Amino acid sequence: VFMLSLQTTGLVGLAVAENPHERLRILYTKILGVLQNIPKDAAYRKYTEQIVTERFDLVKKETDVQKLQDKLNSGQIEEVIVQAENELSLARKMVQWKPWEPLVEEPPSDQWRWPI
Amino acid sequence: TVRPKNEVEHKQLCAFGEYVAEILPKYIQQVQVTCFNELELLIHPDGIIPVLTFLRDHTNAQFKSLADLTAVDVPSRQYRFEIVYNLLSLRFNSRIRVKTYTDELTPVDSAVPVHQAANWYEREVWDMYGVFFANHPDLRRILTDYGFEGHPFRKDFPLSGYVEV
Repeated sequence: VFMLSLQTTGLVGLAVAENPHERLRILYTKILGVLQNIPKDAAYRKYTEQIVTERFDLVKKETDVQKLQDKLNSGQIEEVIVQAENELSLARKMVQWKPWEPLVEEPPSDQWRWPI
Repeated sequence: TVRPKNEVEHKQLCAFGEYVAEILPKYIQQVQVTCFNELELLIHPDGIIPVLTFLRDHTNAQFKSLADLTAVDVPSRQYRFEIVYNLLSLRFNSRIRVKTYTDELTPVDSAVPVHQAANWYEREVWDMYGVFFANHPDLRRILTDYGFEGHPFRKDFPLSGYVEV
Protein backbone atom coordinates (compact mmCIF):
# COMPACT_ATOMS: atom_id res chain seq x y z
CA VAL A 1 0.00 0.00 0.00
CA PHE A 2 1.52 3.34 -1.00
CA MET A 3 1.44 6.08 1.68
CA LEU A 4 -0.32 9.14 0.30
CA SER A 5 1.23 11.72 2.62
CA LEU A 6 4.92 10.89 1.97
CA GLN A 7 6.81 13.96 3.13
CA THR A 8 10.42 14.94 3.35
CA THR A 9 12.23 18.03 4.58
CA GLY A 10 14.66 17.88 1.68
CA LEU A 11 17.55 18.11 4.16
CA VAL A 12 19.81 15.18 4.98
CA GLY A 13 19.41 13.85 8.51
CA LEU A 14 16.42 16.03 9.40
CA ALA A 15 13.19 14.05 9.76
CA VAL A 16 9.73 15.52 9.21
CA ALA A 17 8.33 16.77 12.53
CA GLU A 18 4.87 15.60 13.46
CA ASN A 19 3.08 18.19 15.62
CA PRO A 20 5.67 21.01 15.29
CA HIS A 21 3.44 23.53 17.10
CA GLU A 22 3.52 21.46 20.29
CA ARG A 23 7.30 20.97 20.11
CA LEU A 24 7.90 24.69 19.52
CA ARG A 25 5.53 25.61 22.34
CA ILE A 26 7.45 23.40 24.76
CA LEU A 27 10.85 24.70 23.61
CA TYR A 28 9.90 28.38 23.75
CA THR A 29 8.37 27.99 27.21
CA LYS A 30 11.56 26.29 28.41
CA ILE A 31 13.74 29.06 26.96
CA LEU A 32 11.66 31.77 28.66
CA GLY A 33 11.95 29.80 31.90
CA VAL A 34 15.75 29.63 31.68
CA LEU A 35 15.94 33.33 30.86
CA GLN A 36 14.28 34.14 34.20
CA ASN A 37 17.56 33.15 35.87
CA ILE A 38 19.39 36.00 34.15
CA PRO A 39 19.35 39.56 35.60
CA LYS A 40 16.58 41.61 34.06
CA ASP A 41 18.86 44.33 32.69
CA ALA A 42 21.16 41.94 30.75
CA ALA A 43 21.07 42.63 27.00
CA TYR A 44 21.01 38.89 26.19
CA ARG A 45 17.83 38.38 28.20
CA LYS A 46 16.17 41.44 26.64
CA TYR A 47 16.87 40.53 23.02
CA THR A 48 16.28 36.79 23.38
CA GLU A 49 12.96 37.36 25.14
CA GLN A 50 11.98 39.67 22.30
CA ILE A 51 12.86 37.10 19.62
CA VAL A 52 11.25 34.19 21.47
CA THR A 53 7.97 35.97 22.34
CA GLU A 54 7.71 37.22 18.75
CA ARG A 55 8.10 33.69 17.34
CA PHE A 56 5.93 32.17 20.06
CA ASP A 57 3.06 34.56 19.20
CA LEU A 58 3.36 33.66 15.52
CA VAL A 59 3.29 29.94 16.39
CA LYS A 60 0.23 30.39 18.62
CA LYS A 61 -1.70 32.37 16.00
CA GLU A 62 -0.91 30.40 12.84
CA THR A 63 -2.09 26.78 12.70
CA ASP A 64 -1.14 25.98 9.10
CA VAL A 65 2.46 24.75 8.87
CA GLN A 66 3.22 26.18 5.40
CA LYS A 67 1.93 29.66 6.29
CA LEU A 68 3.82 29.55 9.60
CA GLN A 69 7.05 28.77 7.73
CA ASP A 70 6.47 31.76 5.43
CA LYS A 71 5.69 34.11 8.31
CA LEU A 72 8.72 33.07 10.36
CA ASN A 73 10.85 33.38 7.21
CA SER A 74 13.56 31.18 8.66
CA GLY A 75 13.60 28.04 6.51
CA GLN A 76 11.72 24.79 7.16
CA ILE A 77 9.77 24.32 10.39
CA GLU A 78 12.17 21.51 11.34
CA GLU A 79 15.05 24.00 11.03
CA VAL A 80 13.14 26.40 13.31
CA ILE A 81 12.81 23.56 15.85
CA VAL A 82 16.57 22.85 15.66
CA GLN A 83 17.28 26.57 16.09
CA ALA A 84 15.03 26.72 19.18
CA GLU A 85 16.88 23.73 20.67
CA ASN A 86 20.20 25.52 20.04
CA GLU A 87 18.90 28.72 21.65
CA LEU A 88 17.79 26.70 24.70
CA SER A 89 21.23 25.11 25.14
CA LEU A 90 22.86 28.51 24.65
CA ALA A 91 20.61 30.11 27.29
CA ARG A 92 21.56 27.41 29.79
CA LYS A 93 25.26 27.99 29.12
CA MET A 94 24.85 31.79 29.36
CA VAL A 95 23.50 31.37 32.90
CA GLN A 96 26.85 29.73 33.77
CA TRP A 97 29.12 32.14 31.86
CA LYS A 98 27.42 35.43 32.83
CA PRO A 99 28.66 37.45 29.84
CA TRP A 100 26.80 40.63 30.91
CA GLU A 101 29.45 41.43 33.51
CA PRO A 102 32.00 44.15 32.67
CA LEU A 103 35.18 43.39 30.73
CA VAL A 104 37.44 40.70 32.25
CA GLU A 105 40.77 42.32 31.37
CA GLU A 106 41.88 45.21 29.17
CA PRO A 107 44.34 44.27 26.43
CA PRO A 108 47.88 45.76 26.41
CA SER A 109 47.76 49.15 24.65
CA ASP A 110 49.65 48.00 21.56
CA GLN A 111 47.80 44.70 21.17
CA TRP A 112 45.21 45.71 18.61
CA ARG A 113 47.11 48.54 16.94
CA TRP A 114 47.45 48.05 13.20
CA PRO A 115 49.78 48.96 11.42
CA ILE A 116 52.18 48.07 14.27
CA THR B 1 38.91 50.83 -11.14
CA VAL B 2 37.94 51.01 -7.48
CA ARG B 3 35.47 48.71 -5.68
CA PRO B 4 32.26 50.72 -5.05
CA LYS B 5 31.53 51.39 -1.38
CA ASN B 6 28.46 49.57 -0.03
CA GLU B 7 27.20 51.95 2.68
CA VAL B 8 24.08 49.91 3.48
CA GLU B 9 26.05 46.75 4.21
CA HIS B 10 28.59 48.77 6.22
CA LYS B 11 25.81 50.19 8.41
CA GLN B 12 24.23 46.76 8.88
CA LEU B 13 27.57 45.27 9.98
CA CYS B 14 28.19 48.18 12.37
CA ALA B 15 24.73 47.65 13.88
CA PHE B 16 25.28 43.90 14.28
CA GLY B 17 28.71 44.52 15.81
CA GLU B 18 27.17 46.86 18.39
CA TYR B 19 24.45 44.28 19.08
CA VAL B 20 26.98 41.54 19.84
CA ALA B 21 29.15 43.91 21.91
CA GLU B 22 26.09 44.83 24.00
CA ILE B 23 25.29 41.17 24.70
CA LEU B 24 28.86 40.04 25.54
CA PRO B 25 30.65 42.97 27.22
CA LYS B 26 32.63 40.57 29.44
CA TYR B 27 34.83 39.30 26.63
CA ILE B 28 34.67 41.71 23.68
CA GLN B 29 37.42 44.32 23.84
CA GLN B 30 36.89 46.01 20.50
CA VAL B 31 34.67 45.78 17.42
CA GLN B 32 35.72 47.06 14.03
CA VAL B 33 34.39 47.03 10.47
CA THR B 34 37.03 47.29 7.76
CA CYS B 35 36.58 49.46 4.68
CA PHE B 36 35.91 46.24 2.72
CA ASN B 37 32.85 45.52 4.93
CA GLU B 38 34.41 42.83 7.13
CA LEU B 39 33.23 42.72 10.76
CA GLU B 40 35.90 41.84 13.34
CA LEU B 41 35.39 41.10 17.05
CA LEU B 42 38.50 41.42 19.23
CA ILE B 43 38.16 39.08 22.22
CA HIS B 44 39.88 38.32 25.52
CA PRO B 45 41.23 34.70 25.33
CA ASP B 46 38.96 33.53 28.19
CA GLY B 47 35.98 34.29 25.98
CA ILE B 48 36.72 32.05 23.01
CA ILE B 49 34.22 29.30 23.81
CA PRO B 50 31.41 31.62 25.05
CA VAL B 51 31.69 33.92 22.03
CA LEU B 52 31.96 31.11 19.46
CA THR B 53 29.04 29.23 21.05
CA PHE B 54 26.96 32.41 21.09
CA LEU B 55 27.71 33.11 17.43
CA ARG B 56 26.85 29.52 16.51
CA ASP B 57 23.64 29.08 18.53
CA HIS B 58 21.96 32.49 18.81
CA THR B 59 18.97 33.01 16.51
CA ASN B 60 20.18 36.40 15.24
CA ALA B 61 23.71 35.11 14.56
CA GLN B 62 23.70 31.41 13.44
CA PHE B 63 27.32 31.38 12.27
CA LYS B 64 27.29 27.61 11.88
CA SER B 65 30.33 27.29 9.65
CA LEU B 66 33.96 27.75 10.75
CA ALA B 67 35.64 28.77 7.52
CA ASP B 68 39.18 29.29 8.82
CA LEU B 69 41.35 29.21 11.94
CA THR B 70 44.79 30.80 11.72
CA ALA B 71 47.35 32.68 13.74
CA VAL B 72 49.41 35.80 13.13
CA ASP B 73 52.85 36.34 14.68
CA VAL B 74 53.75 39.91 15.68
CA PRO B 75 56.95 39.46 17.74
CA SER B 76 57.10 43.06 19.02
CA ARG B 77 53.92 42.65 21.09
CA GLN B 78 53.70 41.28 24.63
CA TYR B 79 51.20 38.64 23.44
CA ARG B 80 52.83 37.89 20.13
CA PHE B 81 50.30 35.48 18.60
CA GLU B 82 46.92 36.60 17.34
CA ILE B 83 44.47 33.69 16.78
CA VAL B 84 41.92 34.43 14.04
CA TYR B 85 38.60 32.60 13.54
CA ASN B 86 36.58 33.23 10.36
CA LEU B 87 32.91 32.25 10.63
CA LEU B 88 30.20 32.07 7.98
CA SER B 89 26.44 32.26 8.54
CA LEU B 90 24.51 30.35 5.89
CA ARG B 91 21.10 31.53 7.12
CA PHE B 92 22.02 35.24 6.83
CA ASN B 93 24.81 34.97 4.22
CA SER B 94 27.27 36.88 6.32
CA ARG B 95 30.82 36.50 7.57
CA ILE B 96 32.49 37.55 10.80
CA ARG B 97 36.05 37.43 12.14
CA VAL B 98 36.90 36.74 15.79
CA LYS B 99 40.43 37.52 17.02
CA THR B 100 42.17 36.59 20.30
CA TYR B 101 45.72 36.86 21.57
CA THR B 102 48.24 34.74 23.44
CA ASP B 103 51.98 34.41 23.97
CA GLU B 104 54.24 31.37 23.48
CA LEU B 105 53.53 29.77 26.85
CA THR B 106 49.86 30.46 27.65
CA PRO B 107 47.43 27.78 26.47
CA VAL B 108 44.23 28.77 24.70
CA ASP B 109 40.86 26.94 24.87
CA SER B 110 40.27 24.67 21.91
CA ALA B 111 37.34 25.50 19.62
CA VAL B 112 36.74 21.80 18.83
CA PRO B 113 33.80 21.40 21.31
CA VAL B 114 32.06 24.22 19.40
CA HIS B 115 33.15 23.54 15.81
CA GLN B 116 34.48 20.10 14.86
CA ALA B 117 36.18 21.68 11.85
CA ALA B 118 38.70 23.36 14.18
CA ASN B 119 40.47 20.04 14.79
CA TRP B 120 43.11 20.08 12.03
CA TYR B 121 43.30 23.86 11.93
CA GLU B 122 44.38 23.89 15.57
CA ARG B 123 46.90 21.13 14.90
CA GLU B 124 48.31 23.32 12.13
CA VAL B 125 48.54 26.38 14.41
CA TRP B 126 50.26 24.25 17.08
CA ASP B 127 52.71 22.86 14.54
CA MET B 128 53.52 26.11 12.78
CA TYR B 129 53.40 28.61 15.69
CA GLY B 130 53.59 26.64 18.93
CA VAL B 131 50.27 27.80 20.39
CA PHE B 132 48.99 25.11 22.77
CA PHE B 133 45.24 24.35 22.70
CA ALA B 134 43.81 23.03 25.97
CA ASN B 135 41.17 20.25 25.71
CA HIS B 136 42.05 19.47 22.12
CA PRO B 137 41.31 15.77 21.42
CA ASP B 138 44.52 15.06 19.48
CA LEU B 139 47.10 17.87 19.34
CA ARG B 140 50.14 16.72 17.37
CA ARG B 141 52.19 17.84 14.39
CA ILE B 142 50.43 17.82 11.04
CA LEU B 143 52.62 19.43 8.34
CA THR B 144 56.24 19.24 9.55
CA ASP B 145 58.46 16.17 9.31
CA TYR B 146 58.36 13.60 12.18
CA GLY B 147 61.47 14.69 14.07
CA PHE B 148 61.24 18.36 13.14
CA GLU B 149 62.19 20.87 15.83
CA GLY B 150 60.91 24.40 15.87
CA HIS B 151 57.81 26.24 14.73
CA PRO B 152 58.33 27.35 11.13
CA PHE B 153 55.83 30.20 10.76
CA ARG B 154 57.27 32.22 13.64
CA LYS B 155 59.00 35.39 12.51
CA ASP B 156 62.27 34.40 14.22
CA PHE B 157 62.49 31.08 12.35
CA PRO B 158 64.89 31.46 9.38
CA LEU B 159 63.59 31.00 5.84
CA SER B 160 65.72 27.95 4.99
CA GLY B 161 65.48 26.48 8.49
CA TYR B 162 68.21 25.24 10.81
CA VAL B 163 68.93 21.85 9.18
CA GLU B 164 70.60 21.36 5.83
CA VAL B 165 68.61 19.09 3.46
